[in-house]
Amino acid sequence: MIEFALLLLLFGIGPVLLAEALLSRYELLAYTAGWRTPDTALPPRVPYARGADADRPPAAYLVYLDGIGKRRFQDTRDGGQLVKSLLGRAPELRVLGQVQPYSPLAHPLANRPVWIWLRRRMGLVLFLHNVMQIFVAADRRYRPLYNRAVGSQIATQLRLAGYQRDSGIPVVLLSYSGGAQVATGAVEELWSELRCPLWLITLGGFYNGANDISHAQHLDRLTAAGDWIERTGMWIFPQRWPLFRWSGWNRAVRAGKITVHWLDPATHVGPRSYISPQAKLPDGRSHLDRTADTVIALIRDRVGATAEPESPPA
Amino acid sequence: MTLFVAILLLLAGLSEAIGRLLPLVARLSGVSHTRAIWLVVAGAFVDAAVFALWPLSAWTLAELVLPTSTTGQGVLAWTPGLVAPLLLAAILAFPLLGPFLHLLLMVGVGAGLATALVPVAGIGWWEAAGCVAVAGAGLGIAVEGVRRLVARLNRTRAPESFP
Repeated sequence: MIEFALLLLLFGIGPVLLAEALLSRYELLAYTAGWRTPDTALPPRVPYARGADADRPPAAYLVYLDGIGKRRFQDTRDGGQLVKSLLGRAPELRVLGQVQPYSPLAHPLANRPVWIWLRRRMGLVLFLHNVMQIFVAADRRYRPLYNRAVGSQIATQLRLAGYQRDSGIPVVLLSYSGGAQVATGAVEELWSELRCPLWLITLGGFYNGANDISHAQHLDRLTAAGDWIERTGMWIFPQRWPLFRWSGWNRAVRAGKITVHWLDPATHVGPRSYISPQAKLPDGRSHLDRTADTVIALIRDRVGATAEPESPPA
Repeated sequence: MTLFVAILLLLAGLSEAIGRLLPLVARLSGVSHTRAIWLVVAGAFVDAAVFALWPLSAWTLAELVLPTSTTGQGVLAWTPGLVAPLLLAAILAFPLLGPFLHLLLMVGVGAGLATALVPVAGIGWWEAAGCVAVAGAGLGIAVEGVRRLVARLNRTRAPESFP
């Protein structure tokens, strides 16, 4: 039985994994070489931002970077619940959920004919593609290019949503799981293009800790003891180990820019996940309610002081 | 070297060149499809030549620095079985794990070459492995130097002006 499983892994999943890994860089190559330009327009009925009206400055712009399930401009089912919950609780925010963290060309997988075919037959491959994109984003050779591509995508979507450079309005990058790799990577490009006060909030963040986040004001790390996926990221990426003192992550830790918030007993995914509306806490709130409350409290605490438009950027 | 082995070496060179394409093209922002293809083709020939020189270099090194016994078995050369794993050289492009997997591949192929060198040069396996490793590292460093030089020249080249 074990032999059969190994053979299946070797000859079944192995070649798919290898092909996907080799193809995963093509999009970045096409972006870098200038063979294709990133998509900027959204489909009809997908707004550039939701929440606070565009006719007056919001308290902050919140960009939600989803986990590996992201494959279209619209929110995923789980991410959509979180965004909806945030919008309901904090109407002063302008929220963007359309950013494609796993596509340097901002081209959703759901819009690609081959992937539509694959989705009907091997849905798992879609997740695999996005996992590989996280690997590309974390790879020393491709990371600067990937960071520039997605950072530029976020900056473009913020501009289309009404953000003005040097306006001083804070931008919050809320990232779930692998979205944290992209969020930390986007900091430099966002600073370069928008000069915005920038906050990061990671929810079960999976990232390699190599990116320089010195231009971010703070990073709030929402985690839980039962989140083994986040913990795996801390184990497998040496830049997250205290030994590598000069990694972007450890420099941020020494600068006092990281605050950990425990959301026990939540898990990374599943019925007891951070964004589960079913799992209940002793105080009667769901995990989703608690996560949304925590995110909003952090934004109001940290961003409120700089949300006035006349405040100069940090 | 048989024609079949030569074709395998060329395909291995192509595989290696594809694996190295993105980091190179990344330094040549704005490169056209045609130029990218030519870079891969040129890289395929260079990498194939480097692979072809590997056993010869290791054998020459063994002859030069180690007391070898005369075995009369001729020179060390690639066989299809020895060279075939190099067709997987494109694994270098695998994100994050690529360089490590590529290193494992090269160690595996090098171990095969060392085993083949033992009877040819009449030396011990570890001595043969040392020669194969030094020859491989030397060739690798040399071709990497050329690769970086080409990238640097392409990056800093000023636009041509016509009087």
